[in-house]
Amino acid sequence: MRDLYKRLGLSPDASKEAIRTAIDTCQHSALKADAQMVLQVESRRDEYDALHTTLCDIGLLRARLGLTHGAYWQDSVANDFSLPPDSARSRHEELVERLSHAASWHNRWRAWHAPWLIAGLFSLGVLAGAALCHMLL
Amino acid sequence: MPIARFSPFELLLLKSRHQADSAALLLLAWVLASRGHIGDPERARLTELTSGFRHGHALEPIIEIAASQDLAAIQLAAELLQKECHGEQAYPFLRLAIALAVEGGKPSLANHHVLRFLADLLGVAPSEFAPLFEAVAGKAFANPDDPSRTGYWQAKEHHRQQQEQHRQQQERHNSQREQERQRRERDYQEQSRERERRDERHHYQRQRRHAGDQAPPPGDRTRRALIVLGLQPGASRSEIRKAYRRLAQTHHPDRVYTQGEARVASASLRFQRIKSAYEYLMEVS
Repeated sequence: MRDLYKRLGLSPDASKEAIRTAIDTCQHSALKADAQMVLQVESRRDEYDALHTTLCDIGLLRARLGLTHGAYWQDSVANDFSLPPDSARSRHEELVERLSHAASWHNRWRAWHAPWLIAGLFSLGVLAGAALCHMLL
Repeated sequence: MPIARFSPFELLLLKSRHQADSAALLLLAWVLASRGHIGDPERARLTELTSGFRHGHALEPIIEIAASQDLAAIQLAAELLQKECHGEQAYPFLRLAIALAVEGGKPSLANHHVLRFLADLLGVAPSEFAPLFEAVAGKAFANPDDPSRTGYWQAKEHHRQQQEQHRQQQERHNSQREQERQRRERDYQEQSRERERRDERHHYQRQRRHAGDQAPPPGDRTRRALIVLGLQPGASRSEIRKAYRRLAQTHHPDRVYTQGEARVASASLRFQRIKSAYEYLMEVS
């Protein structure tokens, strides 16, 4: 499947008028006929858009997982929906890192919270005592 | 680094007893979601197919995540599954995905692309995936149609018109029969009351016979179950039992117990599938 929006230079949520002007100015007669058939009828455009969204998602997933040259990713689909390979980190690595981060915070809290609690209560007591003395005297 | 919240799927993974099964479940739900709305029958089917999974948490949140097309979650699941099984080990999972995709007719176009993505993800080449699809679905793995071309819509329009014609013919046929029935009833009413009572009985019987006519043909599921056991249609009970015993012995999870958890998991998937096919066939035959 081809990405008609991309080939017409439109965004997928383009308005009807934008689509009509893009089709009118299109020089490629075959593309023009196809776009008229698909995008200018509301029900067809909805169905096309649903598949378009799925393919965009799959294109993104493939880019992130390094599958842009898979055996099943070919022809017009691959031409139109491939994205440049993503340098974003693997989600799993990120999850593991976040978990270990959270665990280290947890451990630190466990290791420190008892002394801090005692110190905090002590200083609170001192402050309260000082305030009481100040008021009474 | 600021600590972002853990997403619902990540929390589920932390709770899960078997992360790869949770990931597989999410991807299967994604296959279903790309068919459209996930209703009760689809849920029941998913539960039935994944009865051998050992994730140990509820199905509902997974379905919600898949229905919202949460790409981050799907990517995480894909990474987990890719780590867990590759090549032949992925066959049981792919079989489940195909079974869900072809449930109730043709896979949708989105399904086609999702299946292709899963095959590439798990390192199954087209030369291996196509026979796998054929074995499960009972038809060849064709290239998906292309709705960005005029031809697709023309063919669809043509198909719709044909169906319309067919329906009209059916209606005409039905109305003729209805008229005939009414005429006959009028004739009968002219007869005595006793005769009328008999007519009612006759009518009732006719309806029952009619209902019998419309019972679905012995189905797709029997055929698929037979394929799972590697049998031809029309196999006898003893043949089925023999095939089941042989397959259950070779695919029993205990046989691969020493070869690691991944092998046991894939064997238990296969075993579960064989077992449910056998139980179904014993019920119907």
